Amino acid sequence: MTEEALTAEATEAHGTGEPMIVIEDLSKWFGDFQALKDVDLVIGKQEVVVVCGPSGSGKSTLIRCINRLEQHDKGRIVVDGIELTNDLRNIQEIRREVGMVFQQFNLFPHLTVLENVTLAPRHVRRAAKAKANEAAMKQLERVRIPEQANKFPGQLSGGQQQRVAIARALAMEPKIMLFDEPTSALDPEMIKEVLEAMVDLAQSGMTMIVVTHEMGFAREVASRIVFMADGEIVEAGTPEHFFTNPREERTKQFLAQIL
Amino acid sequence: MSGVRLDLQEPLPVPETEGPPARRLDARAWARENLFSSKLNGVLTVVFGLLLAWVAYRMFRFVFVDARWEIIERNITNLLVYQFPRGELWRVWAALYVLAASVGFGVGAAGRRSSLAAEADGVPRQGRSMVLRRVGPLLVLVVVLLVFAQSLTATLLVAGVAATAVLFRVVGQRVPLRRARLASLLVLVGIAAAYLTITAFGGVPRDRWGGLLLTAFLAIGGIVISFPLGVLLALGRRSSFPAVRIVCTAYIELIRGVPLITILFMSAFALGFFLPPGSERPSAVTRALVALVLFTAAYVAEIVRGGLQGVPRGQLEAAQAIGLSPLKTTRLIVLPQALRNVIPALVGQFISLFKDTSLVFIVGLTELLAVAQNITKQSDFVAQGLFVETLIFAAFVYWAGSYWMSRESQRLETRLGVGVR
Ligand SMILES: Nc1ncnc2c1ncn2[C@@H]1O[C@H](COP(=O)(O)OP(=O)(O)OP(=O)(O)O)[C@@H](O)[C@H]1O
Ligand SMILES: [Mg+2]
Repeated sequence: MTEEALTAEATEAHGTGEPMIVIEDLSKWFGDFQALKDVDLVIGKQEVVVVCGPSGSGKSTLIRCINRLEQHDKGRIVVDGIELTNDLRNIQEIRREVGMVFQQFNLFPHLTVLENVTLAPRHVRRAAKAKANEAAMKQLERVRIPEQANKFPGQLSGGQQQRVAIARALAMEPKIMLFDEPTSALDPEMIKEVLEAMVDLAQSGMTMIVVTHEMGFAREVASRIVFMADGEIVEAGTPEHFFTNPREERTKQFLAQIL
Repeated sequence: MSGVRLDLQEPLPVPETEGPPARRLDARAWARENLFSSKLNGVLTVVFGLLLAWVAYRMFRFVFVDARWEIIERNITNLLVYQFPRGELWRVWAALYVLAASVGFGVGAAGRRSSLAAEADGVPRQGRSMVLRRVGPLLVLVVVLLVFAQSLTATLLVAGVAATAVLFRVVGQRVPLRRARLASLLVLVGIAAAYLTITAFGGVPRDRWGGLLLTAFLAIGGIVISFPLGVLLALGRRSSFPAVRIVCTAYIELIRGVPLITILFMSAFALGFFLPPGSERPSAVTRALVALVLFTAAYVAEIVRGGLQGVPRGQLEAAQAIGLSPLKTTRLIVLPQALRNVIPALVGQFISLFKDTSLVFIVGLTELLAVAQNITKQSDFVAQGLFVETLIFAAFVYWAGSYWMSRESQRLETRLGVGVR
């Protein structure tokens, strides 16, 4: 198969078929170093896309461009029909649709768990406090830690913190969730509880992009796996295709290393 | 009787502990281990011990035997307010009551929230002894002042102030938690109200204040105004607008390069520069306050900037990702964390400010230290070498204030550190 055809298959929308995120020709430079090279990717509604690849391949940069934590230099990003521009209001609008979970949790240490989760609803959507609290408790129940609501993040285990971070992102009722290596900073026994919360979320129909090397998770819930190297998408396809029949030499090497 | 004694000698059950065994040395063993562990150490211990004993003896003798404290006793009102009209002194007392009420209320309301957080954390509530230790330095100061005043009225009034503070603290603890955030605002309102109690409605303008009252005014006014100004300067120095950044940086570096004395001298000239021509020349007190504020704000800005740099990038990114605007990110996420990290340095700066108020004598003001100098020239005391007594008194007042602030800072640190390890 030619390079062209491969990219075409890689970028076609799955899930319900309607596109949720359209990335076209995306390039990003850090100084002289090109971190993303003409990336094309379409993500369908309710699709769960796992992104993997060696360190420094641009996985984080790719998903951080989607909610403008990084500014792209070339190409187009369209999220749920809204094109990402430099206009601050436009960026805020997209950030309301996109939740993000970080490797280092990044919870606000000076606020309680409940305050972490209600912060955005109260200050961005201007929800009343009682309503925001009620909604936050629902999200905390969803990730199974309602009993920790009044503790501070520093008093929780890593796995609990990451689940709070998921609840915090969900509190804004986003249509898309981005995960950047959500389990890499966790001890093995805590990885499972976070992955379970993510599986629940996927099964509820959330559109997700997950940067992770948890291949068990990918096999179970991914509709597509995207393999990146050196700022490019090398190969993309369904989990069966990806694990049983990878086409590219680099993909095979990578899989041999991590499986 | 003896039977009881026998009972006591029965071996008590030893509680099982997991920690290291408690090391309880008797005085001799402790001394041998710490003071006389080697020959040199022993010699040093003896020499410094004798020196210390001698100094302590001389000081004790001076303070309690030789010193002629009547200069302080006769001038206690001068030291506290100087030439403040005696007929208007009730206003100062009234202001103290207003302050006690608002601060007591604020402490009560703010303490409630943090103690709830501490309870969630399993930290025991601070007991009464802790509260006493906190205000200890102030308590000692008040007692000393009352001893010198030798006035029943003053003692009763002070007792009333203390009772008011305690009463309003209890009231403060009863307010609903949602309103607790307003507590610090209320303290500010209380400070303003106390000020107005003295000055407004035919009161005494601040230009006629002196002694400890003026010192307190300059210190409190300086802190209350320079803190927000310093925070704005720190934010400005990190602003993405080049004009703002350049102005703030230039201001901070300029002020930090000049001694406070120079700024005090120049404040008269500089203020005239900014005021519209023909407006009244600001009074010496205003000029001194402005100079202290301008000076302290630059240092506060640098301290706060250090705190801002210590907030991890991830905090900003998380705030952006959930859609907080830049302004709210700063107000709700960055500043609270930055300020908490620099409390010790900030309070240190405010202690400096408190002590630096003694420099305002060079623009002709008579604050505590200046009064202490002036009273030695009264006809009853002139040329009797009583400056040591007055200086010790002034030094003691500064020490009590500074030590109290330092204690409050430690407490604030532990309180805000709850749950963050
Ligand atoms: N702020 C930055 N400034 C300069 N270079 C950067 C910056 N952020 C990322 N890079 C570079 O861009 C490349 C891609 O980084 P990115 O973080 O996207 O990689 P990644 O695939 O997420 O790697 P990892 O698995 O280690 O997280 C790397 O070579 C990295 O050094
Ligand atoms: Mg990464």
